Amino acid sequence: MKLVTWSLATFHATAFVLAIVLFVYSRDALGAGLSGLNTFVGLGLFVALWGTTYVTTSRALKGLDLLTSERDRTVYAGRALRCGAANGMAFLGILGAVAVVAAVLNTRPDQVGLGILFPAVFIAPIAFVVSAAVGGAVGALFGIVDLALFAVAGLAGLDAEPTV
Amino acid sequence: MEVDPHLVHVAIRWVHVAAMATAFGGAVTVFALSIRPGTDSAGAVLGVAVRYEWLFWAAAGVLAMTGIGNLAAFGAGLLGPSTNWGTTLLLKLGSVLTLVVLSLPRTLAVARTSATSIGTGLIALRNLYAATTAAFAVILAFAIWLAHG
Repeated sequence: MKLVTWSLATFHATAFVLAIVLFVYSRDALGAGLSGLNTFVGLGLFVALWGTTYVTTSRALKGLDLLTSERDRTVYAGRALRCGAANGMAFLGILGAVAVVAAVLNTRPDQVGLGILFPAVFIAPIAFVVSAAVGGAVGALFGIVDLALFAVAGLAGLDAEPTV
Repeated sequence: MEVDPHLVHVAIRWVHVAAMATAFGGAVTVFALSIRPGTDSAGAVLGVAVRYEWLFWAAAGVLAMTGIGNLAAFGAGLLGPSTNWGTTLLLKLGSVLTLVVLSLPRTLAVARTSATSIGTGLIALRNLYAATTAAFAVILAFAIWLAHG
C-alpha cells in the first residue's frame, strides 16, 4: 500500500460523502433520510464505499508515478472516468447483494423467486448502467479536482523523469 | 440478540472522539517538532510527518463514517439548517470538507519530499502543519458548541 493511493482513495470517499451530506442537510432532508437507516448498515455501506474506492483508485494509479511524472498525472486523469464507473458498479453490486439477501431473508420461501429474484434480474442491468454513468461522472469530476490539487501541491509542471 | 441503540451511539461517539484526538494531536505533534529548538532541516520532521499522513487519512475516513452515525442518532429530531445549531453544523461540515480537500496537497507535498528529497522545506512543513492544527482547532470549537452550546 502506498501513501499516495491511500490518501487519494480516502480523499475521494470522504469528500464524496461529506459533499452529499452537506448538500442534503442544507435542503433540510438529512434527518428523514438517516432516520430510516440502520446504524450498522450505514457504517457498513461507508466501509464498502471506502473499500471499492481504494481498489479502483489503486487500479487507476497502477504503473503511474504521480509525484514525479507530469505525463503520468495526465494519464491518471484520463483513467478517472473509467475507474469511477467501475467504482459505481462495484458499490452498487455490494448494495444490491445486501438488499437482495435482506429481502430474501424477510420473504416467505415460496415467494422468493417471483417476488425478489425475478425483479432483481430485470432491474440489475439498468441499475448497473445508471451506476456506471453516475460513477463515471463523479470519477471525471474527481479527476479534474485531483489535477487542481496536484497543482496546489506544487506538482504541476514538475517532471523528474530522465530526459534521454 | 438485540443491541442497545444507546450503547451503539455512545460507542460511535467515542470512536469519533478518538479519531479526532488522533488527527488533531498528530498535527500538533508534527507542528511542535518543526518548531523545536535545534531542528534545522525538514529531514528531522519528515519521517514523523509521513507517519502522520497515514494516520490522518485513516482518521478522516473514520471521522466521516462515525460523524454520519452521530447525526443518524438524532433521527427525525435532527434540527434544521435554519436554526442556530443547524447553521453551526453547516459551518462545521463545510470546514471539515475544506480541511479534507486542502489536506491532499499537504500529503502529496510531504510524500514527494520523502520520495525524492526535493520540494518541501522546514518552513513550508511548519506552515502546513500550523494551518492543519488551526483548522482542527476551529472544527473542534464548532463540535464543542454543537455538543454543549
